[in-house]
Formats: sequence, C-alpha cells, structure tokens
Amino acid sequence: MTDAQPTTTMSGRYQRTFTIAVVVLVAGWHLAGGGGQLLHNRTDYPSFAFQGALWLVMAVAIAVGSVLVLRGSLDWRLAWTVAIIALVASTASAAASPAGQMLAVNWAWGSAGWIGVLVLHRRRLVELVWFLAAEAAATLTVQAWDGLDRLDLAAFLALLAWSTGAQIAVAAAVKALDSAADRAVTAARSEDAARERAVTAEIIQAARQARWLALQESTAPLVAELAAGTADPGDPQLQVRCAVQAARLRRLMAEGDELPGSLVHELHASADVAELRGIAVEIETAGMLPQVPGPARRVITDAAITILTAARSQARITLATVAAGIAVSFVADTGSVVLLPAAGQGVAFEHQQDGGMLWAEARWNNR
Amino acid sequence: MEQQVTVAIIEDHPVVTEGVASWIRSDPGRRVLLVHTARDLNGLEGEARPSADVVILDLELSGELVTAQIPGLVAAGYRVVAFSGHSDPAIVMETLDNGAHAYVSKEEGSDHLVEAVLAAAADRPYVTRSQARAMLSDQRPGRPDLSQQELQALLLWFQGMSKASVGRRMSISENTVRQYISRARAKYAATGRTAPSKDALLARAIEDGVIKPGEIMPYTSFARAAANRPSLGAPGQ
Repeated sequence: MTDAQPTTTMSGRYQRTFTIAVVVLVAGWHLAGGGGQLLHNRTDYPSFAFQGALWLVMAVAIAVGSVLVLRGSLDWRLAWTVAIIALVASTASAAASPAGQMLAVNWAWGSAGWIGVLVLHRRRLVELVWFLAAEAAATLTVQAWDGLDRLDLAAFLALLAWSTGAQIAVAAAVKALDSAADRAVTAARSEDAARERAVTAEIIQAARQARWLALQESTAPLVAELAAGTADPGDPQLQVRCAVQAARLRRLMAEGDELPGSLVHELHASADVAELRGIAVEIETAGMLPQVPGPARRVITDAAITILTAARSQARITLATVAAGIAVSFVADTGSVVLLPAAGQGVAFEHQQDGGMLWAEARWNNR
Repeated sequence: MEQQVTVAIIEDHPVVTEGVASWIRSDPGRRVLLVHTARDLNGLEGEARPSADVVILDLELSGELVTAQIPGLVAAGYRVVAFSGHSDPAIVMETLDNGAHAYVSKEEGSDHLVEAVLAAAADRPYVTRSQARAMLSDQRPGRPDLSQQELQALLLWFQGMSKASVGRRMSISENTVRQYISRARAKYAATGRTAPSKDALLARAIEDGVIKPGEIMPYTSFARAAANRPSLGAPGQ
C-alpha cells in the first residue's frame, strides 16, 4: 500500500541518525582518546613510527567502516574483515609496547573496541561480545607473555570493565533506540491512517454537501423553468441540461450504499468534471464487485478521465463481475479514436471504435 | 399494415402516463394503440375488464410494489411489460419470474418501451440493458446455465454497445447477437414459477429456432418428451 513506503523511510531516517552518532563517537574516540594517548606517551614506545602507522591503519579502517555502514552496504564478511584488521592492529600495538608498561601506554585497545562497535552494532549483540572478548584475550595474552603480576591483572580488569562496558552499552543503546523508533513510527502510521480515514470521510461528506448545493443551484431552477413553462422541452440545449441533471440525481442516489475508496466512488468523482462540461454520464454496476487494489484503481480511473474528457455529449460506465475479477467498460461518443493510458497493475485494456462511438474495457484479474 | 397492438397503461403519475402515450403516438408505424389508462389495477379485474394485448405496468402504485399482482394479470390473459424506476436486479428478476414479458427502466423508456410492447404482443423476448444487468447479477441457486457466448453478448449489451457493435466485437452477425440474448432470456422463462406467459415465450422461441428444447431441459429424455407437447411447462414439472 501507499503508506508502507514513508514508514520505512521514516524509521530508516532515525536509524541513520543513530549510525551517524556512532560514527562521530568512534572517530572522536580514535582522534582524541587513542591519538591523545599515543602522543602523550610517544617517548615510551620502542618505535613511535610503528605505533603511528598502526594508528593510521585503524583510522583508515574507521573511514572505510563508516562509509560502508552509512551506505548500508556492510555485509557480515566486510564487517568482520574490518573488525579483524582492528584486532590484529591492536594486538600488534600491544606487542610492540614496552614490557611492564604495556597497559599504561596502550592506546589501541580502546580504538579497536570502538571499531568493533562501528561495524558490528547493527548485527546481533553476541557478535560484538565475541569480538570484544577476543580482543581482551589477545591483549591479556600479550601481557601474560611479558609477565603478569597481581597489579597488572587489576589494571587489565579495570580497563576491561571501563572500555568494554562502555562499548557494549553504546551498541545496546543503539539497538534499543532502533526498536523504539520502529514502534514510534508504527504508532504514527496507525495514527496517520486513522487521520487519513477521518479526512477522507470529511472530504466525502463535503463533496456530497457540495453536490447537494449544486443540485439546489442547477436542478431546482431547471425544474422551476419547466414547471413555469418558460423552458421549451424541444430545445436541444435544454435536453442536454436535463440529461446532465438526471445523471447527477441518479448518482446522488447511488452514493448511499458505497464505501469510501471504492472504485465506484472514484469513478463517480472522475465523472464530476465531465458533467460540468455538460456530458451526461451513467454509471451502473452488475454483480457483487470485488475490491480492487489502489494502484489498479488508479489505472482504471485514469482511463475513465481520458475517455470522459474526449466524450462529446454522453458516456456510460459499467462495472461487472467477471470470472476472477472485474470488467469496467466505457461507451462514449468520442468521435475519434482515444489514446488510452498505459495498462499495468494487473489491468488490461481492450477497445473498439464504431463510427463515432468508442467502447473500451478495462479488466482487472485478482490472480 | 398489420393489426395494431392494443395496450393499457397502469401508472399512478399522470405525467408519466402522458409521456408513455406520447411515445406511442410518435411511433412512425403507429403500431400500438392505447386503449386504456388507469392509476391502479382495480379496473383490470372482473368481467368488465378492458381488452388489451399488453399492459404497461408501473411496479410501484401509490407507494406499494405490485410485482405480486403480475401472475393475476397474466392469468387474465394480459402480457405484462414492467416499466419502473426500480432497477434493483432482485426486483427485476422477481418481475420476470412472476411472468412479465420484459422489464424497461424509466431511463430506457423512450428507446425501448414501444419495442418491448411489440415484442411482448408477439410472445418474443425483449431484453433491455437493465434486464441484462439483472441476469448478469443473478446468483440464485436456481438460475439457468448460460453459455459463455450468451454471457459475453449480455455483458457487452449491458455495457452499452449497440447490437451491431457487439457482433463486431464477438465476430458474429448482429442477428446471432440477438439470438444469444434471446436464448438467455428464454432459458429464464424455463425456470422458476410457472406462468402461461413464460410457456408462450418458450414455445415461440422454439418455433423461431432461438432455442432447442434440449437446451432448456436438464435431461435429454425429458426434453424429447416435452418437445412433442403443444405447451411447455417449467423443467421438473
């Protein structure tokens, strides 16, 4: 239906905002947190150039991951490729740090964890947990290789609690916001639908009142003229006026039993303009008509408007139930061949021109 | 010139009676003669009732539907053409089932009423677009089995095509179109309650070659037996 698309777009817009927030957070951390730590401890590393190169590798990983995540083209292979590059860089940075001071000068653990958040936050949370656990294990292994005392272990656990905790919290928050946005949009959609129904009902009501007033303006004087004998029933112009008024009265009576949004209703609306031009339009139905979906109805009413615009004085529209669908036909004195709009949405057109009379039929099948 | 068909108009609105009378007068061949007009059915009962071949009957007299009076009129020897603003398919079917020859809606009057009266006088079917609509809408369990060709001809006629255009569309002659539509109507005359008018319509349809007895009766053996009878009843009788 027509309202499904805006909903998806709206929910997508919220998701994109959350993604941008994550990108800003991760890039900001790498620049200020990781970069700041790296510069602050630059004299402590055996090779600052190597650490700097690893920082750049992670910066590139963040840039690539951000583009992919914002484009929505991040599949699990790409996501895990970026994550593993970050994991390897982080472990290499830890291994190339001075023994005994590794945890104190480590800038890479945090950045790699945030890269994991960046590329994995739209996947299942357990994937991020596995990634962060692998990263923690790798860092701990490097520390154990260098020698692990009680103080080192305490520092490791403090870092783990702080950075990993924050990273999982952010990923979980994004997930919660995503589903909140979905719920909000769903609620808004049903509110929109209710509002739309109310507006439609109002429009129909207003249209009926307008027609009733129009009848008062056009039919009442005509009847008065006929009653007073000032109008000549032999006058062709008067006959056309009578035909138009008769068609309007019949339609007004027919409208009692129809639903808003139905094809019959829309065809009546399409006939309005033609009647204003003085075309006498008849609309008749045969059988229990099936519900026709919106896009197919639009194809049919487009044809109705095209044909009614070409009609010179009269048109007959019929709707009949046929096997597995509906046949909507138009007979009108168009004078010449009418170019029908494109078929589609399950609607097929047939037409035949006999002298000045056009017959056209739109068939819609529900299978 | 053939003998004129005599007609009575039963209609409670004098304006409408006058309109019908003017259509009858303006028939170039003067084929119909108006012999009686009344605002109710009282005058058509009893010994002193007027003689008329066809009664044009407004289905609503003084606010009451009179479809149930049709069998009485038919039994009295009148052929009935219903002329009404009620185009509801259920009312049209009930009217035909009760033995009316044809149904003409008030919108169709100027084009079809005189022709429907002439057809009724000859016991021939006459199917207006509103009648085709009622036949296409019919979902009753006892409805007759119409062929694809008959349904297609009825549908195109209901849609508003001329019979010549229907013929072009179906790649058949205009005469065959009439035959399909008449055959569908004759099949209706063979269903539902019995009435002398329906028997007469069927007998004439068989005589004209519009329909074969086998196409009406559900069983061939029964049909053969029925074909030899002078008058045909409804199937299963």
